[in-house]
Amino acid sequence: MTLLDDLRQNVIDGNAPGTQSLVKQAMSEGMPPEKILNDGLISAMAEVGRLFEAGEYFVPEMLVSARAMKGGLELLRPALAAANVQAIGKVVIGTVQGDLHDIGKNLVAIMLEGAGFEIVDLGNDVSPQKFVDAVNAHKPHLVGMSALLTTTMPKMKMTMEALSAAGVRGNVKVMIGGAPVTEKYAMDIGADFYAPDASSAATRAKAAVQGK
Amino acid sequence: MSNSGMNQRAFQGALSYGTSPEQCQRIHHASLEILERTGVRLYLQEAVDLARKGGADVTDGNLVRLPSGMVEKAFTTVPKRVVLCDRHGNRVMAVEGCRCFYGPGSDTLNLIDHRTGERRKPVLKDVEEGIILCDALPNIDFVMSMVIPTDVNQTICDRHQMEIMLARTTKPIIFVTYDTSGCLDAIEMAEAVVGDADALRRNPICACYINVTTGLRHNGEALEKLLFLSGKGLPALYIPQETGGVTSPVTAAGTLAMVNAGMLAGLVLSQLKREGAPFVMPGWDCSYLDMRTMVRHYADPSKHALPQALAHYYNLPMFSLGGASDSKVVDQQAAAEAALTLLSSTLGGGNIIHDLGYLESGLTFSFAQLAICAEIVSWVKTFARGEEVNDETLNLDEIHRAGPDGRFMDSAHTLRHYKERFYPDLFERANYETWVKRGSKTMVERASDKVSQILAQHQPEPLPADIAKRLREIVQRAEAKAQ
Repeated sequence: MTLLDDLRQNVIDGNAPGTQSLVKQAMSEGMPPEKILNDGLISAMAEVGRLFEAGEYFVPEMLVSARAMKGGLELLRPALAAANVQAIGKVVIGTVQGDLHDIGKNLVAIMLEGAGFEIVDLGNDVSPQKFVDAVNAHKPHLVGMSALLTTTMPKMKMTMEALSAAGVRGNVKVMIGGAPVTEKYAMDIGADFYAPDASSAATRAKAAVQGK
Repeated sequence: MSNSGMNQRAFQGALSYGTSPEQCQRIHHASLEILERTGVRLYLQEAVDLARKGGADVTDGNLVRLPSGMVEKAFTTVPKRVVLCDRHGNRVMAVEGCRCFYGPGSDTLNLIDHRTGERRKPVLKDVEEGIILCDALPNIDFVMSMVIPTDVNQTICDRHQMEIMLARTTKPIIFVTYDTSGCLDAIEMAEAVVGDADALRRNPICACYINVTTGLRHNGEALEKLLFLSGKGLPALYIPQETGGVTSPVTAAGTLAMVNAGMLAGLVLSQLKREGAPFVMPGWDCSYLDMRTMVRHYADPSKHALPQALAHYYNLPMFSLGGASDSKVVDQQAAAEAALTLLSSTLGGGNIIHDLGYLESGLTFSFAQLAICAEIVSWVKTFARGEEVNDETLNLDEIHRAGPDGRFMDSAHTLRHYKERFYPDLFERANYETWVKRGSKTMVERASDKVSQILAQHQPEPLPADIAKRLREIVQRAEAKAQ
């Protein structure tokens, strides 16, 4: 088994200490940080996503893998910065104003991180203005909004309007999701895309930033 | 034991849900009265002689009246439990108390082909596929033949069924034979698999389901099989059949009193033949003829609660019924009747629960329906298991540490316990989009797919070649005689 295979397997198995020590080893052997990231950590999380979609992995297993991946990424980050390697994209994400539900949003954030995105998590009960401020401050590629309640869904539309009014709508792609949200609603309010669950959110976000 | 059949809920409520011990005693006394006053006809001289020697009053050649004392005596020697084993002698089915075990039925005339949906005559290959399916399904604890193969000599197709059951699964077998010679051959085959007669008696891998004409008319072949098996110390499931409104009173109590009188007569004979012979009583049958359709139906709400309570009253192991439907196809009625009968039989603490996969009132079998029943069993077993309440499952310290805004999703406690919760296989829980992505399949389609997938992949543990050869010889011997 090569070092990268070993690293991937440790992430898939959710072995955080193993992942960290293999990332260290790869770095000390002079492997390019970008290769460790893409062919090791991100490739492993893609497999975890596949296992989840196939019904073989359950959410806790996915979270443990994500935690292992994150541990490896912490070690890799300085080297990535030094080599000027960018994340595949940056996402500002939050549950909209009036809604305190964030389980789904958290899962989406974890899957996005696993897919190689940098995440700015605004938490729950996020006002339209707070989304606008975060877009100005972090310059993300994507904005993700979530709502669980039919009563808070209109805040998605208001946030869209706030982004337009602030003149930043054109700088970002907007994805939305949550139990009452539909593809049609996404189109109605002018969002770029909708994802029905966390793993498809990651797949679609990746396709969106890569212009596919 | 690979399957404990534990059933906490039934232990709490078997006798309490709808049937009182007083009612059970009343049925018992009624059956004793029938045996003493009316008597039973035994169409086998050996049985008549045995009963007379044991103290019965015999008139009219074969009308046998049994004094109550004979019945009470039989209860002092009959075992309160029967253990069935897998091919390797592991004691996987302790048939006792309220433990529940699940399996298909035997000998339907038709099969709904899971590949085409067509209702057709079964062939030997169907028996084989059914047994392989049962071997693979984790919630199926024992097997029965399921269908009658029409591509072999009809008088000896029970030998073919037994050969396949012994060869294509390691699970315990409940077999049915047409005549006594079939029963002898089946036992000879089972003895060949486990070594010899002593090995089979110590660790029985099979039990014979004996249909008796009615409670008060015991056909010669049923009696021959009962005395043969009892003599060898092997378990017999002795099940008299009544049809309320036809052969017995239309009421549940009257029908059960007659079925039970027949059971008690069988019990007495088995213990007269050999004290301590294992004996299994019916855990259903307050059946009646549907006076609107003339159908003797399977999924009736009054069919098994009373008989199951009676078996617990006697503390005897019982053969029960569940997962069968009167629907003609695998549809909503089939699923509803399967679920209701499986749940109620489990709540009643029925032991050997058979007829999973039956449709059309026992005339048609469906492997897809069997897979759906197995799924229902996984739900029912989880329900029957009950929940643990203790410090670890309450997890109060973590609730406090996490606080009102806390998260439990990736906590160590979640990782320790999440797999203990119920995760269905065929019941669809995915969101709408995922369901569409997977082909918008109905339960029947998913169940049929699962059957196909199992049949394409599952390889049952084969019999050693010399034993397989011995079984073949027994089948061929029967074939030669039948020519």
